[in-house]
Amino acid sequence: MRSSIIYSVVLSLLITRYSARVVLNKYMLDRTQFLEEEDNLQLGSSLQLTEEENEANEILMYWKNKEIEASFKNSTPFQLSKHFFKYKNEIAKSKVYQIIKKMPKGGALHIHASMMLDADSLLELTYEDHLYACYMDDGSLKLHFSDAVPLVLCPVNWKLLKDLRDASDDVEQFDAELRKHFSLYTENDELLNADINETWERFHKVYRTIKNLITYRPVREKYFYKALQNFYNDNVMYVEIRSGLHDIYELDGTTHDALYLAELYERITKRFIDEHPDFIGIKLILTSGRWSSIEKVRDTINMAKELKTNMPGLLAGFDLVGQEDKGKPLKDFLPVLIEARDEIDFYFHGGETNWFGTTSDENLFDAVLLGTKRVGHAYALLKHPTLLATMNQKDIALEMNVISNVVLSLVKDVRNHPLASYLALGYPVVLSSDDPGAWDADPLSHDFYVTFVGVASVHADIRTLKQLALNSIRYSALDEDRKKRFYDIFNEKWTIFVKKIIEGGLN
Amino acid sequence: MWPTLVYFLLAISCAVSIDEYENVINERHDLLQRELDMMLGNEITFSDSEIKANEIVMHLKAKELDRAYRSPYAYNFTRHFFEYKDAVKQSPLYEIIKKMPKGAILHAHDVGLLSPDYVLNMTYWDNLYVCFEEDNMQLIFSDKTPKVTCGTQWQLLRDARYTSIDVEEFDAELRKHFTLLVDEPHEVYFDVNSAWNRFQQYFITTGPMFCYKLAWEQYFYDTLKAVREDNVMYIEIRSTLPPLYDLNGEVYDSIATAESYKKVVDQFVKDYPDFYGAKLIYAPMRLVDAATVKEYIKIAKEIKRRMPDFFAGFDLVGQEDLGTPTKEFLSELVAAKDELDYFFHAGETNWNGMSSDENLFDVIALETRRIGHAFALVKHPLLLEEVKKRGIALEVNVISNVVLKLVGDVRNHPLATFLAQNVPVVLSSDDPGVWEADPLSHDFFITFMGVASRHADLKLLKQLALNSLYFSTIKDKDRVVHEFEIRWTKFIDSLVRDKW
Ligand SMILES: [Zn+2]
Ligand SMILES: [Zn+2]
Repeated sequence: MRSSIIYSVVLSLLITRYSARVVLNKYMLDRTQFLEEEDNLQLGSSLQLTEEENEANEILMYWKNKEIEASFKNSTPFQLSKHFFKYKNEIAKSKVYQIIKKMPKGGALHIHASMMLDADSLLELTYEDHLYACYMDDGSLKLHFSDAVPLVLCPVNWKLLKDLRDASDDVEQFDAELRKHFSLYTENDELLNADINETWERFHKVYRTIKNLITYRPVREKYFYKALQNFYNDNVMYVEIRSGLHDIYELDGTTHDALYLAELYERITKRFIDEHPDFIGIKLILTSGRWSSIEKVRDTINMAKELKTNMPGLLAGFDLVGQEDKGKPLKDFLPVLIEARDEIDFYFHGGETNWFGTTSDENLFDAVLLGTKRVGHAYALLKHPTLLATMNQKDIALEMNVISNVVLSLVKDVRNHPLASYLALGYPVVLSSDDPGAWDADPLSHDFYVTFVGVASVHADIRTLKQLALNSIRYSALDEDRKKRFYDIFNEKWTIFVKKIIEGGLN
Repeated sequence: MWPTLVYFLLAISCAVSIDEYENVINERHDLLQRELDMMLGNEITFSDSEIKANEIVMHLKAKELDRAYRSPYAYNFTRHFFEYKDAVKQSPLYEIIKKMPKGAILHAHDVGLLSPDYVLNMTYWDNLYVCFEEDNMQLIFSDKTPKVTCGTQWQLLRDARYTSIDVEEFDAELRKHFTLLVDEPHEVYFDVNSAWNRFQQYFITTGPMFCYKLAWEQYFYDTLKAVREDNVMYIEIRSTLPPLYDLNGEVYDSIATAESYKKVVDQFVKDYPDFYGAKLIYAPMRLVDAATVKEYIKIAKEIKRRMPDFFAGFDLVGQEDLGTPTKEFLSELVAAKDELDYFFHAGETNWNGMSSDENLFDVIALETRRIGHAFALVKHPLLLEEVKKRGIALEVNVISNVVLKLVGDVRNHPLATFLAQNVPVVLSSDDPGVWEADPLSHDFFITFMGVASRHADLKLLKQLALNSLYFSTIKDKDRVVHEFEIRWTKFIDSLVRDKW
């Protein structure tokens, strides 16, 4: 009797223990399944890696994990959670960055024409002859090339920049001050914490000064060539450039009409390709300011139609640009845009805002309704579940510019950038850099680095990087033939890149 | 409105057929409406008075937001909560939200609910000793000089205060230990760790003072009072259940602490019968090993056995990034899961793919009833679906996430996405006293104005309040929801009557 009681107690204990283990296993299974399913959803997860790519991936992930682990448990703050300017000069030390720098990145599909070039290169251009400067009382700077004192209004007076520079006590100091007019870079915390309107005002100031400098025909040619060179050196093989077309001038004050600028882009690109045959080229997205009148927008669209006929290889489409919160909403232009949508492809900026439910936020709806091919920024899209689903279904790519969103005061800690969710959902994303010159960033490598280490999951690996590059080809405005050639060149470069990672190994 | 429309008609008449234009406009309207219909609160149908009240609310909301949209700096949620917390009190909408019945608080930690002024007042109690050390200080009640180690020397706080040159100055200095509020929050709190260090210091400093049994009970009684005055009718309180002591040095155990709580709640409900009481979530520290968690679970079960109606469930607390990942305790937690309800903190991090982030997977696998914070959930699309499917409520604490440095601008808070997708959400406040916020009103106001869509209206507010009752562990939900409806109707009537 007694022994049978003991027996049954032991038995029941055993059963509990056993079933507890089964239950636990079930939970572990649940957990693993969730994790795996999420992994499979992630952008890049469908790519199959070769043996060599796997080897390269291990090296890449070794460095990535090392970098992240260092700040996760350690008390040192995670650099990438701060403003880009706080850590930008440290990035070069990162092994992950050094690898990404070498990586072929495909194309950059969201780039504004006037902000492609870094401040140092712009400073160099101020050494060109015949450049006049007008330093205004409010601290801004006007520049103009001319063979005589410019007739353009200057409230103080025009002086040859060369004379000012020569007369200064310290040329280095003079240039350092001058350089500040070409970049938003600052160490002033107050400016780093400014609100979106204040930041955009600074941005416009920089934009105006640069525009002065590069509206002179010979300098524009040099500027553009150098810009292509920089993108090329950053392993970007193709650029879609957003640009308004405007007159540019010669030394004697004569001007070329707006279409000339398009020709200049094409001419310089040709020259560049002659010297770098593996460069794919550029396409132009013609832009109009979003504060323009409806008539002005109609004129620009007509110009786009003309370009499409005259220079069919160049034109990709049309877009409206400028600070979205302050500009007119897309819906104000619906009549002209509806009229043009069968003839002209759209590549609208949309939802570059963190206001929820406002006109800028709802530009996203109009962009999609108008059949936009891609959306620039789409920062606010995460708050619009139906639209997100519609866009995914229509395969409309999102052009993400993470560093731009930090510098232009949308988000501080990049880990809160909605791109993390887009990547997790496996949405069609391309990475770009918007106006990298304006914040002294690499043409594209910095954006790739910040995305890979700061935004994407710790588990995101070389497949994410490769898929992002491939997406930039897939969602470009190139025709099928040129895409095919692009893929071929990319794959060749990719193989070399993978070999290089392996050669670099773990040291 | 009319002039623009006429202008449109003129503009389109030249080329686009009016049909085509109208098609787009209709489609636009449909798409927008589809989203609005999906938003949290969409199931609510308004009464006539609610429609009127809503017009008042939305008029005020639009006016304030339009001003902000034009000049973000004048009205700016991109700044730190400390920089706008008093300014928002000028808003008539804040006044309205303050008066609004908000249902329940489901995520709050017991000794973080009252303001620094309250804590300062407590230092006027008799028998409080103080030990001033270099950066910190210790406080403890005792009928004789405490035996606890002190780097300098113990003195009666009363003596220290009255021998100081300036009592006001003395109190101002003392008060700083009871709040995270500072003038330059961005400099002082430059990352998650720097904020958490100060935050934990608050608990280290005040803990020994609060743990005096009488102080503890008084603090909790006054917490319930403050909560009730903020138009909250019920609270689920998380506690580590520290051992309490008496003046003569007698020390009690965690179960006695729980009993203290129950006693206070019973008394409070007797004094204020319109309050629906409180329940306890036992939530000890997570930075421990599995053996300790086993002990925790034993205590939890014992409390549940003794106070089945008062005990709600179990959780683990502390800075998630630096704590032990939930998966380390999986076997202990799985074993206890049939006996204990779980209300886990998880995903209170902005790391993507690290152990703290992946706690979300574990707590869902462990069938948690609700999730505390779930800040990282927006990066996990599958889990987000799972949460919706299983009806797991997210306890979102927006201001806490700002103060503890997960997010700067509240407009980037993932709650916006949760609300847009109608994920089950309840709003709560975590430790509002430590950052000098109201028990719940500030969190509601900032969510309504800063996080939710401009279109979000009274439906959202009502649903959030209702959710806090639905997702609570209250047994008789019909009764409490009925009572809520009565209060809500009164609130709506006064809103319409007073014509804001
Ligand atoms: Zn842009
Ligand atoms: Zn909490």
